[in-house]
Amino acid sequence: MSVQNLILDLHRFWAGQGCYLAPTYDLEVGAGTMTPDTFFRVLDKRPWRVGYVQPSRRPDDGRYGENPHRVQKHFQYQVIIKPSPADIQDIYIHSLRSLGIALEDHDLRFDEDNWESPTIGAWGVGWQVLLDGLEITQFTYFQQCGGIELVPVPVEITYGLERLEMFLEQKDNIYDLDWSADVAYRDLRLREEKEFSEYNFSAAGVAMLRQAFNACHKEAARLAAKDLVLPAYDMCLKCSHSFNLLDSRGAISVTERVKMISQIRALVNDIARRYAGGERGA
Amino acid sequence: MEFLLELLTEELPASHIRSALDQLEPAFRKELADARIAVYSLRLLATPRRLVVAGDFAEGQEDREEVVAGPPLAIARGSDGVLTPAGKGFAKSQGVDEGLLEAVQTPRGEYLGFKRKSKGTPTAEILGTAVPRILGSLAFPKTMRWAETSLRFSRPIHGLLCVFGGIPVETAFGGFKATDVTVGHRIASPGPVKAGDFAAYQAALEKSFVVIDPEVRKKMIVSRIEAALEPLNAKIYADDELLDDMTFSVEHPHVVFGSFPEAYLKLPLEVLATAMREGQKLFSVVRDKIQLPYFLGVADAVEDAKGLIRRGNERVLRARLADARFFWDQDRKVPLRERAAGLKNVLFQEKLGSYEDKAQRLKKIAAYLCDKLGAAEVKADVVEAAGLCKTDLLTEMVKEFPGLQGRMGGLYAEQEGAPAVIHRAIYEHYQPGSLEDASPVSLAGAVLSIADKMDSIVGAIGVGLQVSGSSDPFGLRRNAHGVCKIVLDRKMRFSFPLLIDRVQAIYGDRLILERRAVKAACLEFFAGRLRFILEKRGFRYDLVGAALGPGVEQIADVLARVEALDALKSSPQFEPFILMAKRINNILKGLPSAKLNPDLFVEKEERELFSMFSIIRDNAQPMIARGDFVRAQSIIFKLQPILNTFFDKVLVMAEEKTVRQNRLGLLQSINKMLLEIADYSLVVVEGDRSAKPKASR
Repeated sequence: MSVQNLILDLHRFWAGQGCYLAPTYDLEVGAGTMTPDTFFRVLDKRPWRVGYVQPSRRPDDGRYGENPHRVQKHFQYQVIIKPSPADIQDIYIHSLRSLGIALEDHDLRFDEDNWESPTIGAWGVGWQVLLDGLEITQFTYFQQCGGIELVPVPVEITYGLERLEMFLEQKDNIYDLDWSADVAYRDLRLREEKEFSEYNFSAAGVAMLRQAFNACHKEAARLAAKDLVLPAYDMCLKCSHSFNLLDSRGAISVTERVKMISQIRALVNDIARRYAGGERGA
Repeated sequence: MEFLLELLTEELPASHIRSALDQLEPAFRKELADARIAVYSLRLLATPRRLVVAGDFAEGQEDREEVVAGPPLAIARGSDGVLTPAGKGFAKSQGVDEGLLEAVQTPRGEYLGFKRKSKGTPTAEILGTAVPRILGSLAFPKTMRWAETSLRFSRPIHGLLCVFGGIPVETAFGGFKATDVTVGHRIASPGPVKAGDFAAYQAALEKSFVVIDPEVRKKMIVSRIEAALEPLNAKIYADDELLDDMTFSVEHPHVVFGSFPEAYLKLPLEVLATAMREGQKLFSVVRDKIQLPYFLGVADAVEDAKGLIRRGNERVLRARLADARFFWDQDRKVPLRERAAGLKNVLFQEKLGSYEDKAQRLKKIAAYLCDKLGAAEVKADVVEAAGLCKTDLLTEMVKEFPGLQGRMGGLYAEQEGAPAVIHRAIYEHYQPGSLEDASPVSLAGAVLSIADKMDSIVGAIGVGLQVSGSSDPFGLRRNAHGVCKIVLDRKMRFSFPLLIDRVQAIYGDRLILERRAVKAACLEFFAGRLRFILEKRGFRYDLVGAALGPGVEQIADVLARVEALDALKSSPQFEPFILMAKRINNILKGLPSAKLNPDLFVEKEERELFSMFSIIRDNAQPMIARGDFVRAQSIIFKLQPILNTFFDKVLVMAEEKTVRQNRLGLLQSINKMLLEIADYSLVVVEGDRSAKPKASR
C-alpha cells in the first residue's frame, strides 16, 4: 500500500468513468478547484470530465513537520464531471469500494458542508464525506464560479490523498506513509515541510511579495484587457499565492486584507466573464 | 383511505429536514381542507434521505347539490305556466332539460331554476395536483441546482413514492413519476423496496436497515447509550441539540463506545467536550461532573462487528486531542496582554474597524456602565477584562474551535494568574448565547457582555446593517436577546436610551448614519425584541403592547409593567378602568395641548377630580420611579369612580373656551400620568374589540 498506488487506483477508476486524466498544473494553488482544468471548464455549457492530482499549498497550515496531520502542502485528487450525473453518489461510493474498502464494516456519512472560495468568486453546496469520523472527501455541487451562475451544474469530488491513505493503512502519522514501495513520505516531504514552514512564517521577503502581488495584479489586468484570459488567470493565481504568503507572514492589516481579496476577485470575475462570453460567441 | 408519500433525496442537512417537516404538515392540511377532503390522521417522518408523509384521508369529496337560479319566475313563465323565451333561453344556456326546471325560492323572491348535482372529485386526483405544489413550495435555509434541472431544492431528488389506497398516485415531482417503490439503506441494503401502505413500508424498510421513525431512532440511540454507560455508572454530557442532529443524520443508528488516552484529561473540560462535539459529533462521558476518558458516537451502520468504526473514530479523536493539547501548550506561551497588539489585524466589521478598535470601545462602554450601575468595586477589573477579552481570537485553539471564543480567553487568563473577577468576566462575556442559555454569573461578566453586545448592535445599525426577515448576518437578534436577558435576570437599572447615546458617542465618526435616526432604530429594534421575549414568556400580546407604550427607558421596567398588567387583569376594577382610559384617550385624540389652571374650575366634580388626581399622582410617582408598577397601577384604579362622576356631571366640551381648555388640560395631565405606566388604549377588554393584534416576530 502506498500513496502512489492510491493515485493509480483513482486514475484507473475515473478514467473508467470517461474522465480525461489531466497532468498536475504547474503553479502554486490553494486547491485543485483553482487550476484551469476546473476553473475555466466549468464556466461553459459543454460536458466535461476530468481527474487529476494537484498539490494544495496553504502556507498558514505549516507545522514545521511536527504535527502528524497538518502540512502546508498536501495532495488532492480532484474530479470534475459536468453535468453532474444522477448517480454520482453511487459512482463515488463505488470508487471507495474499488480501493478495497468494505463499506459494510464502516460508517460512511455525507455531512452538510458548503464550500466557498471568495477569491475566485466560487461557491457550491454539498458535504464533507466522513468515513468512521475521518473527513476523506469534499463533495460539492458547484453553483457559481468567477461570479457566474453555472449551467449545467458540475459536481466536484476532492479526495484528500494523505487522509485517505492514512485511513487505508490505519496510520496515525502522515510521515509514516509510503509514497511508493521504495520511497517514504517522510523522506520525500519532511525537509520540505520544515523549510517551507520557516519560509512561510519567518523568512519570506515581505517587500518582494508585495511587489510580486502588485506586479502580477497589474499584469493580469493588462492581459485581461487584451482578452488573453488564460495568461491573465495565471497572474491571478500568482497574486493569490503571494497574498497567502503575506498572510502567513502576518503582514496584512485588516483593511488591506479585504481590499486584496476583492482586488483578486474582481479580476477573476472579469476573466470569467470574458472567457464565457468568448466561448458563447464562438 | 391510506396515503403514503416518500420523497427520496441525497443527504439533507438536519436543519433542512426540521424545516421541511414544519412546513409539510400545515401545507397538506391546508391543501386538503381547501379541496374539502377530510383528514383523519396525518404524521410526518424523516431520515436524512427521506421526507415522509403518512395519513388517512377521505376517499373523495362529498357529492354536491347546488341550486342554480335563473330569471325571476314572473318573467320566465307565462301566466299559463309555459316557458317564455327568457325561460327557454336560460335552459339552453345552462344545457339543462326544460323538464327539470322548477321554481326556486331565494331571498329576493321566486325564480326559475334547477338543482345541479355534481360528483365529488376523488382524493387521488386532488393529490395528483396538490403533491407537486406542496413539495415545490418547500422553503429551505439554502437551496441548490444540480445537473441540468432548473428546480431548486435542498439536495438532489432521487425518487417519489406516492400511493393512495395502495395505488400509485398519478403525479410527479422533480422529474420523477410517482411509484410504489423506494430503496433501502445506502450501504447495508441498497436494493428496491416496494410498499403499498405505511405498515408494509415501515416493515420493509426496517428489513432494509432503515428506521423511518425519528422517535424510534432517538430511543434506540438513548437506550444504547444508557446500556453502554450503565456498568460505568456514568452519563453522557447532556446535549439535546446533538442528539437531535444525530437522529436526523442516520437511517440506522449504531452507537459506538470508544475511549481516548487518559493523559488528555489534563485538558480543560471545555476543550475536550468541544473537540468531541464540534469536530466529530461525539458525546462526552461524565461521572459526577468529572470527565471520563470515553466517548459515544452514533454511526449510520447495522453493527461494528470488527470494531473498525470504533477504532477509526478513536484514531481521529486522538489526532484532534493531540492538536488541542498542542494548541493549549503553545497558546499559553504568549500572555494575552502580549497578543493584544495583534488585534489590529483582525477585522471586526469592515466599517466598524478591527478588534483592537472594538476593545478600546469596550473599555469605555464598560466603564460607563459600571458608573451607572454603581459598580465601582469592579470597574477597574472590568475595564482590564474589556481590553483582553477579544485576544483569544488570536489563539490557535480559538482558530480551530471558534465556539470556544471567550471561554478560552478566560481559561488562559486564569492560567496566567489573572484575578478571578477578570478571568471570569472574560470567560462569561459571550453569555448568554441564546434566551435558553444562562446569563453570566458574575457582575463583571454581565457588564462586559452587555458592553460587547451593545457595541455590535449600535455599530451595525449605525452603518446600515439592518435585520430583515430571516437575514441577520451580524446576529443582532441574538445579541439583543442577550442584553435583555441579562438586564432582566439581574434586574439592572440604567437608562437604556442614554446607553445608546453613549455608545454612539464612543464610536464617533465611524457611524455614518444620523445619530437621532440610529437611536430611534435601536430603540425600535429592542422594543421588537422585548415584545418577542415577553410574548414567548406567555404574556398577552395586547398587554405587552401596552407595557411597551411608555417606551424603553428602562428595560427592566417593560417587564415590570407587563407583570403588573398581567397581575391585575382579572381584578374587577381592571375593565372599567381600561374603558375609562380609552375614553379619555379618544376625547384627547388629535387635540393640541391645553393649559390647566385650578383657579378656573367651575363645577364641584372637576375640583374633586383634580384634588384626587393630585393626591394619586404624588403617591404614584415614586412607585413609578422605582419600577413598582403593581402598586402604582392599583392606586390609579381609584381614579375610575371619580372620573365616572366627572363625565356624568361635567360637560368637557363646554361652550366657553377657557372652561373647556381647562377641562381638557386636566384630562391631559391625567392621561400623561397614565402613559407613564402603560398605554392602556392598546389593552383589549370584553367591552371593546377595537384593538387588533399586531403581527410580531
